[in-house]
Order: sequence, then structure tokens, then C-alpha cells
Amino acid sequence: MTKYILIILLFIFKYAQSESYVKAGDSLIWDSEKQSYTANGDVEFQNDKFIAFADEMIAEYIEQKNKEVFTIVELFNDVKIEFKDEIFKGDYAIYTREDNIIRLTGNVSIKSPTRLLTGYELIADIDNNKRILNSADDESLVEVLLDNNAKN
Amino acid sequence: MSKFFPKVLNLIIFFIIVLQTFIYYLNTKSSTKVFSQKSVSVENFSSIVLSKSGMTKIGSEKLNKVDGNNISLEGTSYLENSKYKIYGSNIFINIEDDVSYSNDDVEVINSMGILNAEGFTNLDSEGKILFKGKVTFVSHD
Repeated sequence: MTKYILIILLFIFKYAQSESYVKAGDSLIWDSEKQSYTANGDVEFQNDKFIAFADEMIAEYIEQKNKEVFTIVELFNDVKIEFKDEIFKGDYAIYTREDNIIRLTGNVSIKSPTRLLTGYELIADIDNNKRILNSADDESLVEVLLDNNAKN
Repeated sequence: MSKFFPKVLNLIIFFIIVLQTFIYYLNTKSSTKVFSQKSVSVENFSSIVLSKSGMTKIGSEKLNKVDGNNISLEGTSYLENSKYKIYGSNIFINIEDDVSYSNDDVEVINSMGILNAEGFTNLDSEGKILFKGKVTFVSHD
């Protein structure tokens, strides 16, 4: 009986571990000296927060507790990020794991079931459920604070 | 009879150990021979290569010496060191330039996860590995 419980617990533990992946259509370079991965061609990146698509990606990592973790993920050209039911688009994006913030620049848009907003720069603060959309001229600034209870 | 049995058993064990040591010695010595002879093929080969970037264990179903600096690992092959484990087939190694490559499917395990690709070029002295074709890297991030 104990054996079966142990097997079930191991099974649950295996799937409870977060797993992220990188897919590249053309190539991927692992640079162990710079501690980075550079992916090219129809790149797809997924972590426990979002899934991202782009033409190119550079992901930096650090060693933490004897394992490596992605700290900064940069995405280039035709960037599309799907976070819950929102879709962020832009020419360039950078995600920093430390603060869980995604910054997009260049022809940025944010699309949700109820709205579509466009601008030059988008800052998506995932932890605080906050989006800041800037226009190119810095004159007009749109800040959208999502309601935590709202369906998003 | 029972008095001699342990002695005979000890003798057999001793003999087996000596034989194992001799086989190990021959295996280790044969890898050195490969690099000094002009045209050599070794089957079910495994050895340790000391390169600029450190020690790498290599192995394959068949090893062929191409020339003084190049060897090819034919069939199922692997390269293993402290940073990675590369499992593939038909891997070519340039010992002088510290470069290895393959155009066949490859699986790589490192401390971050498991990577699958359709080929690779390993620039070991630069600490870079270029994976070709469709690449999937699953990390336990």
C-alpha cells in the first residue's frame, strides 16, 4: 500500500514541477560562457506565466541551487505574447523574471476580449495585474488598471 | 575437499581480477594507439579525450580515424563532460580545433533540461553549441 502511495506522490511531484520550453524552427545556440540561449526562426517560448512567439529570442540564465533558471528573455520581430486571455504584440519584448514584468516596444498592441489598445510601449506588470501603454510622443499616456475580479 | 574449496575459489577470483585489469589496460592502451596509427577503426569504443576545454568522454559503436586530427564516431555515439551529455550518431571530431559536429538527430542533456535537434556543431573551446533545424528545449525551470 505504502509503495502505491509513494508512486502516486512521485507522479504528482513530477507534474507539479514547473516546466518551460523553447522551440526554434531554424537553429538554437547555447553559449555556456555568456550563459544564454539564442533561438532563431519561428521561436516559441513558454514558462509558467505566458507563451511567446517571435522570429528570434535570446534567453539569459543563471545558476541557482545547482540548476539553471531563465532570468531575462528578449524577443525580436513579430512578437506575440499570450497571457491568459490577453494578447500583447510588438516589435521587441523583454521579460525579466525578477519582477515578472514584460516590456514591449514598437507597434505595440494589447488585445483582450473587450478592448484593443495600441501604442508605442507596453509595460505589463504580471504580479500587480497592471498594464501601462505609452504613445510615441510621451504626451498622451494610457494606463489601464485591470480589476482583479474581472475576467482576464 | 571442503578444505581446498575456499582456496580454489580465492584463486579463481584473483585470476578474474587479474584478467579484468589486463583487459582494462588493453582497452585504455588501444585508444592511444588509434591516434598514433594511420588508419584505424575500433568497434564499441569509449575513451576520454583531454582537450582545451577539459575532459570529455566519448564513445561509439565504431570509431574511424580520418586523419591526424579528425576522427568520426560511426553509429550510436556520445560525448559527455561536466557541462553536457550529447547523444547522437555519426559524430565528427576535429581534435586540434576542439570542434565536433553531426548532421543527424541529437539529444543533449544539461543541468537545465533536455534538448532535441536535427544536428549540431560544438565549438568546445568557445563554450558554444549550435543546434540545427527544428530545436526543442524543455527545461525544468
